[in-house]
This record gives sequence, structure tokens and C-alpha cells, in this order.
Amino acid sequence: MATTVKIQVDGNNPVLALQGFLKGLLDDESIGGILVPVHLFEKGLPMPTLVTDSAKLSGADPLAPAFSMNSAKLLARLTRGQSGERIAAVLRPCEIRAFVELVKLNQGSLDDVVIVGVDCMGAYDNLSYKTFLGDADSFQATLDFHGLIGGEADTVRNGVDIASACQSCEHPAPQNADVVIGIAGAHLHESIPVMATSARGEALLSGLNLPDIESANGRDKTLESLIAARIVNRDAMLEKTKALTGTLTDLSEYLSACVNCYNCRVACPVCYCKECVFNTDVFEHKPWQYMEWAKRKGSLKMPTDTIFYHLTRMAHMSTACVGCGQCSNACPNGIPVMELFRTVAARTQESFDYEPGRSLDESPPLSVFKEDEFQETVSHMA
Amino acid sequence: MRKQYGALVVGAGIGGIRAALDLAVTGHKVALIDRRPTHGGILSQLDHQFPSDHCGMCKMLPLMSRDSSSQFCLRKGLFHDNIDIMLSTEVAELEGEPGKFFVSLSTKSPLIDPTKCVSCGKCAEVCPVRVPSEFNAGLTERTAVYLPVPHAIPNHYVLDLDNCQRCWKCHDACPTGAIDLKFNERVDFHILVVDRDPAVETMLKDILNELNFPLHCVQTGQAAVDMLASDDRIRLVLVGMNINDMDAERVLTRSLELNADIPVVVMAETSQISTAAAMVTQGAREYLVKPLEAKRFVPWLDKLYMRIMSDTTEDLEVGAVVLAGGFECYNPVVDPEGGEDIWSYGHPGVLTAVEFERLLSGTGPTGGRLLHPGDNSEVRKIAWIQCVGSRDVKKNADFCSGICCMFSIKEAVLAKKATNGAVETTIFYMDMRTSGKGYQRYRNKAEHEKGVRLVRSRPHSVIPVNDGMDLKVEYMTDAGELVSETYDMVVLAAGARPPGGMEKFALTMGLDLNEWGFAQMQPYASERTSRLGVFAAGSFGEPRDISESVIQASAAAQAASRIIKVYDVLAGIESEPEPEYPDVSREPPRILVAVCTSCPTLEQTVDLEALSRKMSAVHSVCKVISVGATCTGEGWAEIEKGAAEFKPNRVLIGACMPYAYIPRLKELGRSIGLNPALMDVVDIYTPTFVLESEGQAEKEVFAALSMAVARLQGADPVPVPVTVDVARSALVVGGGLAGMTASMAIADQGYGVCLVESEEELGGMAMRLHTQLDGSDPHKFMEELIGQVEKHPNIKVLKDSRVAISRGSAGRFRSAIAGPQGVFPLEHGVSILATGGHETKVYESGLCVHKSVMTHLALEEQLATGVLDAGALTGVAMIQCWRSRDEDRTYCSRVCCPEMLKNVLTLKKRNPDLPIYVFYRDIMVQGFMETYYTQARKAGAIFIHYEPDNKPKVAFEDGKPVITALDPVLNAEVEIRADILSLSSGLEPNDVEDLLEVFGVEVNEDGFYQEADFKWRPVDFLKQGIYMCGAAHSPRRMDETVASAKAAAQRALRILSTEKIARETVVASVRHSLCSLCQACVAACPYGARVVDLEEGKIIVDEILCQGCGACAAVCPNSATILKGFHDGPMMSVIDAALEQPA
Repeated sequence: MATTVKIQVDGNNPVLALQGFLKGLLDDESIGGILVPVHLFEKGLPMPTLVTDSAKLSGADPLAPAFSMNSAKLLARLTRGQSGERIAAVLRPCEIRAFVELVKLNQGSLDDVVIVGVDCMGAYDNLSYKTFLGDADSFQATLDFHGLIGGEADTVRNGVDIASACQSCEHPAPQNADVVIGIAGAHLHESIPVMATSARGEALLSGLNLPDIESANGRDKTLESLIAARIVNRDAMLEKTKALTGTLTDLSEYLSACVNCYNCRVACPVCYCKECVFNTDVFEHKPWQYMEWAKRKGSLKMPTDTIFYHLTRMAHMSTACVGCGQCSNACPNGIPVMELFRTVAARTQESFDYEPGRSLDESPPLSVFKEDEFQETVSHMA
Repeated sequence: MRKQYGALVVGAGIGGIRAALDLAVTGHKVALIDRRPTHGGILSQLDHQFPSDHCGMCKMLPLMSRDSSSQFCLRKGLFHDNIDIMLSTEVAELEGEPGKFFVSLSTKSPLIDPTKCVSCGKCAEVCPVRVPSEFNAGLTERTAVYLPVPHAIPNHYVLDLDNCQRCWKCHDACPTGAIDLKFNERVDFHILVVDRDPAVETMLKDILNELNFPLHCVQTGQAAVDMLASDDRIRLVLVGMNINDMDAERVLTRSLELNADIPVVVMAETSQISTAAAMVTQGAREYLVKPLEAKRFVPWLDKLYMRIMSDTTEDLEVGAVVLAGGFECYNPVVDPEGGEDIWSYGHPGVLTAVEFERLLSGTGPTGGRLLHPGDNSEVRKIAWIQCVGSRDVKKNADFCSGICCMFSIKEAVLAKKATNGAVETTIFYMDMRTSGKGYQRYRNKAEHEKGVRLVRSRPHSVIPVNDGMDLKVEYMTDAGELVSETYDMVVLAAGARPPGGMEKFALTMGLDLNEWGFAQMQPYASERTSRLGVFAAGSFGEPRDISESVIQASAAAQAASRIIKVYDVLAGIESEPEPEYPDVSREPPRILVAVCTSCPTLEQTVDLEALSRKMSAVHSVCKVISVGATCTGEGWAEIEKGAAEFKPNRVLIGACMPYAYIPRLKELGRSIGLNPALMDVVDIYTPTFVLESEGQAEKEVFAALSMAVARLQGADPVPVPVTVDVARSALVVGGGLAGMTASMAIADQGYGVCLVESEEELGGMAMRLHTQLDGSDPHKFMEELIGQVEKHPNIKVLKDSRVAISRGSAGRFRSAIAGPQGVFPLEHGVSILATGGHETKVYESGLCVHKSVMTHLALEEQLATGVLDAGALTGVAMIQCWRSRDEDRTYCSRVCCPEMLKNVLTLKKRNPDLPIYVFYRDIMVQGFMETYYTQARKAGAIFIHYEPDNKPKVAFEDGKPVITALDPVLNAEVEIRADILSLSSGLEPNDVEDLLEVFGVEVNEDGFYQEADFKWRPVDFLKQGIYMCGAAHSPRRMDETVASAKAAAQRALRILSTEKIARETVVASVRHSLCSLCQACVAACPYGARVVDLEEGKIIVDEILCQGCGACAAVCPNSATILKGFHDGPMMSVIDAALEQPA
């Protein structure tokens, strides 16, 4: 039976209690730093921050319903190669899942990191977070968002709701973390349960001398109803997107506002190439080629290769897509990129029975693809 | 002057191909001939080979100097600068001696000019003839004018004259005039008839008038000879045996004296057939039996005429000859004893193994679906019957074909796969001979995972029942019950027989045959025939499976190259230096497009002017020219002229059969000073054959040309070759039979060898053998070999030494060898690991406790040294597979059954009444060793089968063994009391843990070295420049060890025979600035050519290991890995051009 302990919440402030918990971690000799979202300024988005001085944890807000960027790529930078010290990273479930994918691709390592997963109740996209915040104090807004019991509060505030990616996310609970902070179903003004989910987490928790509890009461039930609601949202979203993007013409229209800024690619946690092929000489076409293409149809949209770019990204990473929604968050023109990618990903992941982030032991499907697999899909190519 | 070659290789199956390639890559010119119209042998018919159940022949392609051979499917074609392939060709004569053989070859003309045939198939469409297709093993029919295999490149139609009805429709249908039946030359084909019978003259005049042949009739021999002497137009002599003045033999002799090449045909009465036949051996072409009937005579003469006019002969001078004629499958119809057809082979549900293989093939009659040939119904139950035509003394086949057991298991597995496991498969066998590397595992998997049922019993016959719907198979169980089962298909594992016409061939080649009609091979040199300088590759000397055939082929190549070296054949054929081409990489592309218009089919379907206009408009095309016939000298000159005039920096030729032009592009490159890599030839004729819609051909031709233009636009200027200076010596690890043989083979070619042996003496495991089944003396052989090795000026022997370190790559390794005199550094180009094996240590059944228990080897020793008196014994028991083939070691040690037979026969020879009991699971004696098993049984040894779950139990009474076991024949427990219990303890590879790290190589789960590919690269490690042989590779007998050692040496010579190893044109490279180090490419590389350098943080490509397959480029998401000549940009332009529609 895994160890479950509780963080006592004093003064009705779970954020403060969590800060205390993190301070406790940082005081442990085995942890050299913590990657956690921190309010660096009074207003604005909390940003992923590597904290080594426990005094700086006073700005930490792991519960803020803000998701400025997916930290998986940042954690990859921190763990690729050796720093000589172990760090802890406080991550959302989708960040952990993306990080697991990156580890499979040798872009990061789990060797020297303790993953602290936090139940995710969803977050606003970067623009909506501002609206959500209004004039309120950032920490107060976080406390209001969660209410008394984790996962029970309505998420619509000031006319905005959490991002559509979060609304249709069936993974509110962290997988593959070492330690899980059980927000769902917790009486946040009393105590927050913390579970050790690996040997490493077990060792860490036992050193903190927190009071044991039997189990995180009510968490499973809250998660269950949360997931059920989100699956309904997800399926409706997939249906809708499928209908909108069924043909190449429809797809072109869907992506018609795309200006090839490639922000979605930059924001994507599993797009790991050092330099995207679309930035290389491969797509530096010759002037006469543009002329020939234009002549063939009478006109040529510039810049070219827009659909090709999105299709390439689907080919490269749809099996690894964790649905974090950062692509939509990054799009300056409001294209529902997440919806498109999740729709494609749902198909590709289902065909390979592959779930990104589920297990380190599952290799990326295309790296272990055998020629006699999936005959119904590839037989026409023989 | 005779054309000169290093070697002649007879037979272009895999054995011949392997031998030819091995010789070609070491710089020898090879003539490769086959009497069939296609290369590839039996493997052109087989799609799947275990253990992978795929093909994989391409893995035999040269790994270095790839540019000198085409790099694609070897079943389709074989092109190498040093190999000339001649098909439909046989050896007519072989004279001379090793180093200088004179060979005369006769080639049957396909009667269709391959330079004109565009493979459009119009001839076959009109041909009225239907005969069984050889390619589909008779399961389908073909026409008389046909494609021998559907996949060959080049793939030309041939005319099978024997089955031709002479309707000449194909001649009229051919759009290019490729079918030449010599109609116009008939008037010059004068025929001289010598016969006293006026009726013959009248009849012939009648007939020949119609055929247009000028006829000269004389009645006397003298008149005939005079006419021949005076009239040089005579092209054929028909001589009757009824002339008075001289006998027909005399006429024949005189005719041949006057004109050695004149064909003389004898016309004999029925009573004179034997004399006529004798005349054929004296030089007559053939004989006819009178009376001549127009119905048969006319087609005969017409076809003879075409043969005489079209067939060619060629004389060669060669240094050595390699025979790779393979084997033929036993035909269950033809019972040599005239016995009944007990297998009901005429029934559509009874197939031979090859026929079944065709049934499963995608190019077979059912497109690969497993359907009953009788009524195309689903097949539900199949039985395989082993040893049909093999292991059958009555059919002069007291040998084991060696391949059928695995063949049948594979077919059963394939049948399961084809039906998703639905079909029931049963194999009836006598002994399941799984004695190759990995075979026992394959069998276990088939039996336990795939559900293939194995029954140890031999059905006596196959009988159609139920109105021929089902096939009844009856067999006896171990318990003596007669069981009857019905199947809807029975596959006969028809064994191997000598190739057809072997006796005549042996006579021509001067070979001795063994009693079963195969070539007689020499002990300890299974590649040597009875004639010096003539070697056997593949399965010519003995039926063998693919990997052993490939090893045998390399061994034969090694023996041949030794002869070539010793006799200094073709000393100094200088390869022309590569010319330097100007660098055009900074110039904008200017492409000259030459369109060949020689064949009318193009003009008829495509508006050439419009095409030319459109092509001219394509970017970077500087000029489009039409050329009359690019395949002729004049046409080629037009292209050269065009190139001189328009000064292009790329050349594109649109013609038919692009592969035919590849060698000529090199010449064009030299003459116009342009790198051939900047030229291309595309097929613009195939699109004109099948027209589905208006304008389709034009679109396709345009697309083909513009795709090539796009490719040429992006063609890479060839990089400066990276070269390795080869250290031209070898390191051989292990001084046993394998290591010494390999050392000798390399040293005899003039290269230095350092032979490292860990023991204090050379010899290894073979020194423990005293006798051999074939009566040869292994001790004497080994002692002579050790003497030769120690005296050889090129071999340095280091005993009591070990290799401590080895670094570097193929061509240049640096190693350190630690010995009694300290550490000694060595630079060498190749390494051969021949670390051998040993008898397994067994501590069971009282071995090492009771003196009466010993291993087979110890028994052999005691018998040889006289320690044991066979006459004083009262009973001997032997147990086979005591430790092999069980959970500990799932492989057959291969040496124990012959060892057991050797001891049985020795004991029986010395004491014929001695009772000998042998407990066995399967007696593993492949090939001609089977006969010793027969002898042992005849001598009275009793063989008792046991199952692994019920092994014989051994107890002791007064120090003597008592063995109890179940005798399946008696179906009762038997108790055997013996003086001696001899155990087969099996063979284990020596422990090489330290060497694995030193050399960076791997072993398989049983501890034997892991080869690059089990079938196609059996003695290569994946890491290039390191080879393996002997018992460290797999359990092997002495002959097999020698063959593997010679094969390894031959593979190594590929590297040692060159001064430098150059980089190939197509290799992969990494753009490090783009690389994310995800290492997907490292995992994808099938050649192990990529490693990640963690210190530098870079992926490193070994450019010599890299074979340019592109797997890395395919997995790399952002083109950080690129393949020279196949960059993304140009490839996308090619795709773009393919999709482009002419406006």
C-alpha cells in the first residue's frame, strides 16, 4: 500500500500550505531545486520557474488556473545531460505525459528528477486568464477558483471558462508521477492528501514526517464524475471537428487564417526537433517553382506549404499528442488547432493502441512499426 | 582470340551468384552462365525463407564498391562490372588445365533480339500454344513465346522453339521486329542430302520447295564429300545409312574434317538406331528414324534451321571453373523402378513442395491465396509427407536431401499464416532433422506456438477417397495402431536429385560422380571435385540449405581465386582510373533531353512535337532533341553531338530499358566530360503499351521525363571520396582447424596473417578425432595442416596468447596481443574469429564416476588407441541428445550422430555379434552420411527412439550400466545391460565473453557468434571487416568447418585485395546543427552503421558500413539525416513533377 500523507491547511489557504510542503522538499538535502509556476510580478501569468532558494517559493502557485506554457520541454532542458543535482518538478498531468514522450525520444531524462503531479482542474488560456483575474489578487483568485472542495466549483468566471482542451481532457489525475497531490475531492481548507506513487516518491515522503492518513477520501469519486463529464465534451468536440475537416477543401478553410507563424509548433511540448524542417532549405523553393505552381492553377496562396506544414506535424507527433491545448493557446489568429490535432490523434493513437505518456515501456509506435503490422492500413502499399 | 576470364561459374542460382560476386569483388572477371533463360535458380520461385519467412537475397549484394554493381533485388537482376552473365548457355567443351582452361560455350538463342524486345507482350497475346509453366511448377500454363519469370530485369520474352507450332503470329505481332525467324536467309541455306533411296529425294524436294531451302541430292558418299569440298554454301548435311561406296560414319568424319562446324544429321532405319546413336557421340548433330514423314520432318527441319542460324558458341579462356548447378527435385511421377505411383501425384490435391510454394506466392496461380488447385475451394487440412524420393535405398537415394524438413515446417507455418491459423497442418516424418543453427527453435515454435502437428510415422501411400474429394493417408502409430486420416491437400517433400543431364555434364567436365549421381567431392575440401581447378559451389556437391550453400559458394570462390592467384591468370587487369569531372555545382542546371524515337509505338501514341515543345518549357531544360535509335552507335553519336553543341551540365535520355544504358553512361561521361551521376535514362515506352484513355500515354511520358528533370536539377555533385588506407594483413583468432584453414587461405594470396592461439599448441578440438566415417585420416590431415601453417612465410603464429584490445574499422584495425613475450601491437585490415568449441562437460549417468560410462569421443579414442578390446565386450549402449536440444541448449550439436555411427561401425567391424543399442530422438545425418546410418542398421545395431519427456534411465549394477527405457516398437519397457554406456555429450562454443568486448561483436542465445544474416551473410559479423568460422559459428563437422573457414577468408579478401576503401556515392550523413539526438536513426539502421558519440554529442555515421538504404532519413523527422542524392527538396520536386498535368 502506497504511503498517503496529508498537508495540513491552516488559515483556509491551501496555496500557502502547498508552498510550505514545497519548502519542506527543498529543505531535503536530496533536492537541489524545484520547477514550479511562480507569480513573479503582482499581475499577470505565473511562469514556470526553477527555484533553489526556499524564500522565493512565496510566489509559487501550483494551483493557479493558468497554463502559460507546457513545462515538459523546459524540464527536458533541465534534465538532458547531467546537472549533478536532483530537482523536483511540479507538473500538470499533461505536462508529465508530454515529458514521458520526450524521455522516450532521448530529449530528457527521469534519472535526476522527482515529479510532483498535481490533480488538474483545468486552466484558462493566456488571454482568458487575464479576464478571469480582472482586478483580483492572483492568489485570492486561485483560492476562489478552487472553492472549498477540489473539483466541485463551477469554472466559468467573469464570462470565461477554462480552455477547451481542459474541458475535454480525460486525464485530470497525474500518471507516472513520483508524488501526487490529490486536489480532487479534497477539503482544501482542511488538508490536502499527498500520495507516493513510486519508490522514489515513497522515500521522499517518508523523510518529510507528514502525518499519515488512510486514503484520499472522495478523490476517486470526484475524479470519476469529472472524467465522465469531460469525455462527453471531448466526444462532442471530436465529432464536430471531424465534420469540419473531412476533406482537403474543408481542411484548407479550417486553417485559412494560418499565417505560417509556426507558433503552434513552438508551443507544442512534443514537437522536439532542434530546427523544424520547415525552417530548412527543404522549403526554400526556387522563384521559378512558384511561378510554375501559380501558372498551373492560375493563382498561388503565399506563403505556400500551409496545409503541408500542419500535415507534417500530424505525421510527426499525432501519436505523441497529449492534448494539452498549448497550440491553440499560442495561435494568434484563433484557429482551433488543438481540436484538429486531437481529432487526428484520437485516430492514430487508437490504431496503434498507444496512449502517449502512459508508460515509458511503450515505444513510439512508428519507431517499432513492423512491415506486417496493420495490414488493413498498409496493404495497399505492398 | 578467346575472351579471358578469371573464372567460369556454371549455374546462376544463389550458389553461382555468391561465388561470382565473391570473385568479382576481389577484382576477378567472371563469366556466369546458366542453361535456363533466367538467373536465380530455384530461389526465383521461392518467396519465403525461414527463419524470417521473407526473402532477403539482396543482403548478398556487395557492401563495398557498391557503385560497381546495381543495388536492387537480386532476384530481379544481377549487374556487376566484373560479371558477364550468359543465359541459356551450356558448356560444350572443357579442355586445358588449372590456370588455363579452354572452354567452349554454346548459347541457345531466345530467337527474340533482347536489344529490340521492349517486353510489351503482344507476341504472347497471339501465341496459340499452352504448355505448363515452369515458373509456377506446372500449376499454370504459359505460351510458347513467354516471359520465363515475371520479375526479371531486363525482362525479355523468349521463344520456346520446342513447343512452337510455327504459326509465326508472334513475328507479325511484334511492333519492334525483335522476333527474327530468319525468313529471308532461307534461300542461302543449302542442304546436302546423301541417300540412295529415290523416294527420300522426291519427298524432300517436295517439302523443301515449300520451305525455300536450296537442296542438293547425291547418292554416294564420294559425291557428297566432293560437293562439300567444292561448295562452301552447304550449311547442313543429311546422310542416309544406306549409301554403298562408303559407310555413313566415314561421310560424317570426312564432312567434319572439311568443315568442323557443319551439322550432320543421320537418317537411319529402325534397325540401325544404335549405330546412329554412336555417330551422335562421334560428332553428328542428331539422327532421324526413317520413314521420314512430312508432318514431323518439316517442323523439325524448320526448327533445326532456326537453331543453326541463331544459336551461338563462344570460346573462353578461364583460370578456374566453379560448378553451381544446384539440384533437381525428385519427380514423384517417375518412379525409377517403374513402380506404382503410391502418392497419387496426378490428383490435383497432391502437390510437391515447390508447387505448394508457388501456390503461396503472390506471383503464383492464386495470387498467394491458399486455394485447392482442383476447384479453388478453401483448403482446411494439409498433410506433408517427408522423405519422398530421399532416404530410400530402393530409389537409389540412400541419402538425406537435408533441406526438406525445414522446408516443410516453413510451409506449414506459412500455410497457418495465410489462413490466420485456420488450416490444420500435419507433418509426417521419419526423423525431424533440425540440425542447423536455430532450426530446433524454429521447429519448437512451429510445433508449440503455431500449432503445426508433427507425427513420427511414414504413411505408405496417399489414396483419393470420397469420389476424389479427399485424400486418405494411413499410418502406424508407435503403439502399432493403424490410423486413417483424410486431408484435402497432401504436400510431398520431394527430395533433391542430381541436376538433369548430370552424366553428360560430368563427361564434358571430366568429373567423377558418386554412386547417387552427384559430383564426387574430396575429404576436408568439400568444394573440390575430382578434377583439379574445378570446384563445386552451393548444393552441387551435396544437397544443402541456403546458408550452407552460400558458405560452400564462398569456399569454392576462395579455392578458385587461389588457382587464379597461383597461376597468375590475367595478371594486371588494370581498372581504368576514374576520370576527373568538372565541378558544375555552382552553375545553374542546363539539361539536354534526348528522346529516342526508334520504335514506332511511341510515334503512334504520342505527339512527339507537342511533347518536345512541352519539355522545352520545363525549367532548366536547355534543349530537347529527337534521336533515331539511342541503342545504336549512330544514335549514341547524335547524343554526343548534341552535348557538344548545347553544352549541358545534365543529360536526360528518354528511351526503353533504362538499365541497358547505365554502363554506357560512364562512356558518355568520359567522352563529353560530364559526371555520369548527372545523367539519367528513363523508360518512356512502357506507358505506350496499355492505353486506357486518350492522352494518357502522353501524360505519363511527360511525367516520366519531367520527374527525371526534377531529379537531375537537384543531383548532388559527387563528393570527394573518403578513403581508408587498408592495412593488408589479417588477424585470425583461434588456431584450430577453422583458424588455420582461414590463415592458409589468406596467406596463400600473399597477405600477412597473425594467428593467435590461446593454447600452447595449434590444432584445437579436431585433434581429438582419430577416424572418419569416409575412412580418411583426420590426424594425418591435421598434422600436415599444422606443419604448413607453422612453415608458411606469411603466417606468424602466436601461441599461448590473447587479443587484449582491438580498435578501428574495416580496413584498418589496431590491436594488441598479449603473449608470453609481452604485449605486441598489430595493424591489420580484417579480423577472423575462429575460437571453436568444446565437448560439453557432463556429470550425469555415472560419467566421471563409473569407468564403464564415457562420451562418444572418449570411446573413439579408446577404440583407436586399443585401450578397449571390442572383441571382449558383450553389449554396448549409447544415448543420443543426452544434453542437446533440451531446455539448456535448444540446438542440435550436429556432430554426435555421425560420431555415434562411427563408433557403431567400428565396434561392429571388430565384433560383428556385439549387441549395440542406440537410444535416440532423431538421427541427424544429412546428405550422404545417411548411408552410414543404413550401414549401421544393416550391421545389426538396434535403434530405439525415445521422447524427451521420457528419457532412458540409467542405473548401475556392479559398476555396469543398466538402462531402462520405453521401446516404442515393442511398446514395452526394455532393460539393457551393457559393458559400456557411451553418451553423446554435445558441442558447446568456447567462452568468448572477453572477445565480445574486444571486438564489439555479439553471440546468440546459445553462445555462438551472431552473424549479420543467417542465410545470406553467414560468415560475416554485422560489423564490417570481422568474420567468423568453424564451431564458434555453429556446430560443424570438419568438412563444414573447412568450408566456413575458406568462406570467411574469401569475404576477408574483399577488403585485403584493395589498397584503399572509397566512399560510395549514396551514403547518409548527419547535419549536426539540426540533429536533436533522439537516436531514432541509430535504432533504424539495419547495418549498425550509426552510433551516438556522447562526448561530442553527435551521431556518427560509419561511411563504410552505411549501405545507403535510407532507413535513417525516413525516421528522421526534420531531415537532420540526409541521403546523398536523395535530399528532401529534390525528392519533393520529383513528386511534384509526377503529379503535374501538362497544361
